[in-house]
Amino acid sequence: MSREKVLAAPLDGDLGPFARPGRRLPGALGGRIDADPESVERGLAQLVLTIVELLRQLMERQALRRIDGGGLTEEQIERLGTTFMELDRRMEELRDQFGLEAEDLNLDLGPLGRLL
Amino acid sequence: MIELVAIAEGTLAPEAPVRAVPFDGLAVLCAPAAEGEADAETLWRREALLEALMEQGTLLPVRYGTVVADEAAAVEAVSEHRDAFARALAWVRGAVELSVRAVGPAEAAPEAARVHATLAVLARDAVRLGGDEQLNGAYLVERGAVDDFVAAVGRLQREHRALSILCTGPWPPYSFTEAG
Amino acid sequence: MSEGAVAQREVALVDLVDRLLGGGVVIAGEITLAVADVDLVHVSLRALVSSVDTAQRKRSPGTDESP
Repeated sequence: MSREKVLAAPLDGDLGPFARPGRRLPGALGGRIDADPESVERGLAQLVLTIVELLRQLMERQALRRIDGGGLTEEQIERLGTTFMELDRRMEELRDQFGLEAEDLNLDLGPLGRLL
Repeated sequence: MIELVAIAEGTLAPEAPVRAVPFDGLAVLCAPAAEGEADAETLWRREALLEALMEQGTLLPVRYGTVVADEAAAVEAVSEHRDAFARALAWVRGAVELSVRAVGPAEAAPEAARVHATLAVLARDAVRLGGDEQLNGAYLVERGAVDDFVAAVGRLQREHRALSILCTGPWPPYSFTEAG
Repeated sequence: MSEGAVAQREVALVDLVDRLLGGGVVIAGEITLAVADVDLVHVSLRALVSSVDTAQRKRSPGTDESP
């Protein structure tokens, strides 16, 4: 294989339309990230917060199962409760900071349905 | 930390610093994890490495930036997919990936679909990747059939003037790692 | 490099980035979360990442597979 990668070009030789200056970086978790700095930050915040929200929900569910199943001390249960209240509050703060609604974190996974 | 570069058949013998770590008849090719952000040159170097390795044998490129703690972790990460990898390796053996993008107005979308369908017939496998273009296609083409494929792209361009068509390659089979 | 070669390299880079960052075998890591000193969730991101990736690819308009 050679370093010259273009095998066939348009008839007018104009490669401009293929340069994609608003660089799109496909990613595993949601695709479009604009090169524009403001929307980059917002897009990344959206991705990060979505993951955090997913994990927070998973942890909450797991914590409830552990509490129901017994095996945790009173102190641990109380700490869990406080932690989750705090996490919830912090998530809301972070969402506000980036101008995101709870719905914005609900990624559409197509055949897998909604993320959250 | 090490970076996973590719899944290959067990016979591949890479040069340092790339190491072939065996797992059940296959190998996961590993390199020391790079520091810092990836720029264009870094990506081109990775591409050149993959192409050099492809001359030695069949491989499936691993997504860029896949880092694990060590070789044991690498084997653990890949082992459960061993059979799927073997099927994919058999599927891509002797073939390369070609990219075809077509840009044009919205009305040209049906023509772009015809271009894709025509090229898909000439390839072992084909998939449309997402994008802003009317067509962003990936085609798995037998090495010996690449010239005919490129000639077909030229013909399609002349037939479909509403579209501007670009073909690049050959690439390692990035888009066909789940095939077979 | 000549201007023509630079332009070619640039458009080829687009295809390379699409593939190196958006294609290839996806192997994701696993994390264990501890909250308030209680190990709660061992999350395997592997299935999530590859499922999302496949769903994303298949959702692209007009995606089809041959033959």
